[in-house]
Amino acid sequence: MTGEHPALALRGLAKSFDGKIAVAGVDLDVPTGSFYGLLGPNGAGKTTTLSMAVGLLRPDAGGAWVLGRDVWTDPVGAKQLLGVMPDGVRLFDRLSGGELLAYHGLLRGMDPAVVDQRAAELLDVLALADAGRTLVVDYSAGMKKKIGLACALLHGPRLLVLDEPFEAVDPVSAALIRDILKRYVAGGGTVVFSSHVMEVVQRLCSHVAILAEGTIKRVGTLEEVRGERSLEEVFVEVVGGRTATGEELAWLSR
Amino acid sequence: MAVPVSAPTSPARRVSARHFVRLKLRVMGNNFRGQGWRIALFLVGSLFGLWFAVSAFFGLAAPGLIGEDRYALLVAAFAGGLMVLGWLLLPLVFFGVDETLDPARFALLPLPRRTLVTGLFAAALVSVPTIAVLVALSGLVVTAGVFGGWSAAVVAAVGVVCGVLLCVAAARAVTSAFATMLRSRRVRDLAAVLLAVAAALLGPLQIAGVAAIQDVDWDRLNGVATVIGWTPFGAPWTAGIDVAQGRVWAAPLKLLITLAAIAALLAWWSRSLESAMVGAASSGPARAKPVATDGVVAQLFPRAAGWLRRDRFGVLVAREARYWWRDARRRANLITIAVVGLFVPVMVNFGGQGFTVDNEQGFNFVGETSPVLVSLSMLFVGLLAAVTLANQFGFDGSAYAANVVAGVPGRVELRARMTAFSLYVLPMLAVVAVVIALVLGEPAWVGFMAGTLVGTYGAGLAVNSFLSVLGAYSLPETSNPFAMNSGAGMVKSLLTLLAMVATGAVAVPMVVAAALLGDVWLWLGLPLGLAYGVGAALLGAYLAGDALDRRQPELLAMVTPRR
Repeated sequence: MTGEHPALALRGLAKSFDGKIAVAGVDLDVPTGSFYGLLGPNGAGKTTTLSMAVGLLRPDAGGAWVLGRDVWTDPVGAKQLLGVMPDGVRLFDRLSGGELLAYHGLLRGMDPAVVDQRAAELLDVLALADAGRTLVVDYSAGMKKKIGLACALLHGPRLLVLDEPFEAVDPVSAALIRDILKRYVAGGGTVVFSSHVMEVVQRLCSHVAILAEGTIKRVGTLEEVRGERSLEEVFVEVVGGRTATGEELAWLSR
Repeated sequence: MAVPVSAPTSPARRVSARHFVRLKLRVMGNNFRGQGWRIALFLVGSLFGLWFAVSAFFGLAAPGLIGEDRYALLVAAFAGGLMVLGWLLLPLVFFGVDETLDPARFALLPLPRRTLVTGLFAAALVSVPTIAVLVALSGLVVTAGVFGGWSAAVVAAVGVVCGVLLCVAAARAVTSAFATMLRSRRVRDLAAVLLAVAAALLGPLQIAGVAAIQDVDWDRLNGVATVIGWTPFGAPWTAGIDVAQGRVWAAPLKLLITLAAIAALLAWWSRSLESAMVGAASSGPARAKPVATDGVVAQLFPRAAGWLRRDRFGVLVAREARYWWRDARRRANLITIAVVGLFVPVMVNFGGQGFTVDNEQGFNFVGETSPVLVSLSMLFVGLLAAVTLANQFGFDGSAYAANVVAGVPGRVELRARMTAFSLYVLPMLAVVAVVIALVLGEPAWVGFMAGTLVGTYGAGLAVNSFLSVLGAYSLPETSNPFAMNSGAGMVKSLLTLLAMVATGAVAVPMVVAAALLGDVWLWLGLPLGLAYGVGAALLGAYLAGDALDRRQPELLAMVTPRR
C-alpha cells in the first residue's frame, strides 16, 4: 500500500527566524529502502529541514509526508512510522540508559514484555549494558549518541531520521552505528541522515542531497551527484569555499 | 649566547571589573533586541521596584522627618537586618539569582580568581533590585542627617552603600555554595532535613517575636536593636545613627565589621565558584552502578508507583516522578513547598492575634483564630504548591522533543504530570493540615483545612496547566538550580504573580464557604474540597490538553534554551 509512496517527501518547506531565512523552499523525495545522506556546511539549514520533516518545528510554508502520511495533518499516523534522533536536543538524561529505553518504548504504546526484551538486546549490541544504572547525563558523547539511536530504533520504525549521527563519536562506536544502520536498510528500512563528513556519506549512502543556504543545490544517487570526481570536490565547488592565499594569518607561523 | 628560557610575553591588557559590567549590560541589551514585550515587562518591573523603593525610603526616613529620635536606631537595625536576611534567604526559596554571566563560561579564560570574583560581583550589582534597595535604604541617610548633621549623613551614606554590597555578596555566596552542595546526593538529603528543621524553628521564633512586640517595651527592643547593630546584619545601617547620637567611636568599628563580612562572603563565594566552574564541565565522575538484573520497565517505575499501569500514562507519571527527585531544580521547588507550607500558616495564624507570655502558664492564646483566617493561609499553601507547575515544560527544556516525536496526546500528558507531582505534594499537604491543626489546638479543623488545601491545589493545577502551555519560557541548562536567564527573571515573576492571582480567584469559593457555612463546613469541607479540586484539575487537563495538542512544536521552541 505504502509501496508507491516515497519514504519521505518534502514539498516547498520554508522557515525563517526573525526575518532571517533558514530554509528557502526544500523539495525532496527519499525513495523507500534508500540510504539517504543530507550534506551541507554548518548553518546550511540541515537541522531546521529535518526538524520540520519530523514534526518538531512548524514550517512557514510547505509540507512533509512519511510514507504518504502528512506529518502536520495526520501526526499520529506519521509519527508511528518514524524514528528520530535529533541533534542538539537533550535526552531525558536524568534516567539511566535502560530507564530511558523503557520510557520511549511505553510512550510509543509498546507491550512491556517486548520493550524489556528489545531494550536488553539493544543495550547489549550497542555495548551500553556495562553502564548499568549510570544516568545518561553522566554518559560520554559517544554513549549519548548510541542511546539516542537505540531510542529511535526501539519501536521498529519504517523510516529513521538521524541528525548528525556520527558527530563526536569515536571510530569504534561509529563503525558499530554504521553496521546497525546498514543492517536496518538491508532489512527494508529507510535512513535519512545529515552530516558534513564526506567520507562517511560516500561509504554509506545510495542517495545524496547537498543543501546550502537553505536550498537544495544537488540531488540524486551518489553516482549522479559525484560523477567522475570525489564527493568532497563536488561539495566544495557547490558550497563555494575559499582557499587561503598564505598572506593572511601570517602571525600563526613564527 | 644562552637561549632565554622565559619568553618575554607582551603584557596582556588588564581585565577590570568594568569589562564584566559592560558585558552584562550588553547581554541584557541583546536579550531585549526585537522583543518588545520583554522591554515592556522590564519597564513594568522596574517601575514596581522603584515604587516600592520610594515608599520604603519614606518609611525609613520617617524617624528623621517626624523628629522621633528614639525610633531611629530601632528602625535602622530592624529594617536593615531584615533586608540582609531577605537577600540571604529569598534567592534560595523564591526568586533565584540572575546568572546572565554564568561563571562556567569564564572557566577557560586566563583570569585570576580575584579578577573574576570582583568582576562578577560588580556585574551582579548592576540590577534593578540592587538599585531599588539602595534607593530605599537611603532613607536612613535622611534620618541620620536630621539628627547629626552632615558628618552623620556622610557616615550613614557610606554605611548604606556598604550594606548594599553586603546584601549582594550574601545572596551570591549563599546560592553558589548551596548549588554546589545540592549537586552531591548525600549532602542534598542533609540539606532537606536542615531546611525542614529551620522551618520548624521559625514558628517558635515568630511567637517569641510577636510576644516581644506585644509587650511594647521600648527599652528591651532598643536593647535588641543595639545587639543587632553590632552584628553584620545591622552594622552597616546603624553606623550613621551612632554618629548622630554621639557614639562616634562606634562608626568605624561597625564599618570594619561590615567590610570584614563582605570580604568573608566574597572569599566563600570565590571558593564555591571554583567548584561551580569545574563542576559544569563534568558533573562528577561517572560511577558504574551495579548492573541491574530486572527488566528496564521495572527499573523505570519507582516502587511507590508500582500500581501504575505499564502504558503511556503510567510511563509518563513514572518518568515525571523520577524527575521531581533527580532534577536538582525541581527538588529545590519541592523543598520550598515543604518549608513555606509549614512556615506561612504558623506565621499567619499566630501573627494575626498573637500570644502573650504569661509568667505562670507560658504561652497563651489571645482571642481565637478564625476558620476564615486558617482557610486563607491554607489557600496560600495550596496555591504555592500548584504555581510550581506554572513552567513545568521549562524544566524539561529541549528533552520535551521526545514527547513531541512520540506524539503524546496533550490530555494524557497533562494528567500524567499532575498525577506525578501530586504523588509528592498530596502527602505534604496532608502533613501540613494535620500539623497546623494540632499546633492551633483545633484538631476538629483538619477536615476543612485539608479540603481547602486540596481544593485550591486542584484549581491551581487547572490554571497552571494553561499557563504552562501558553506562557512557557526556557530555563538555562546549568547545574545551578537557582539560575534564571536575566530576561526570564521579570517574566517569571510576573507570570508567577498572574498564576497566583488567577488561582486565588478560582479558589475563593473555599474561603467564602468557610465564612458562610459555619459549623457545617467542618464536616462538608473535606468532601467538597476534594470534589472541587479533582474536578477542576480534570477539567483543566481536558481543556488545556486541547491547546497543547495544537501547539506542541511552538511549546518545544519556547522551552528550548537560546533562541
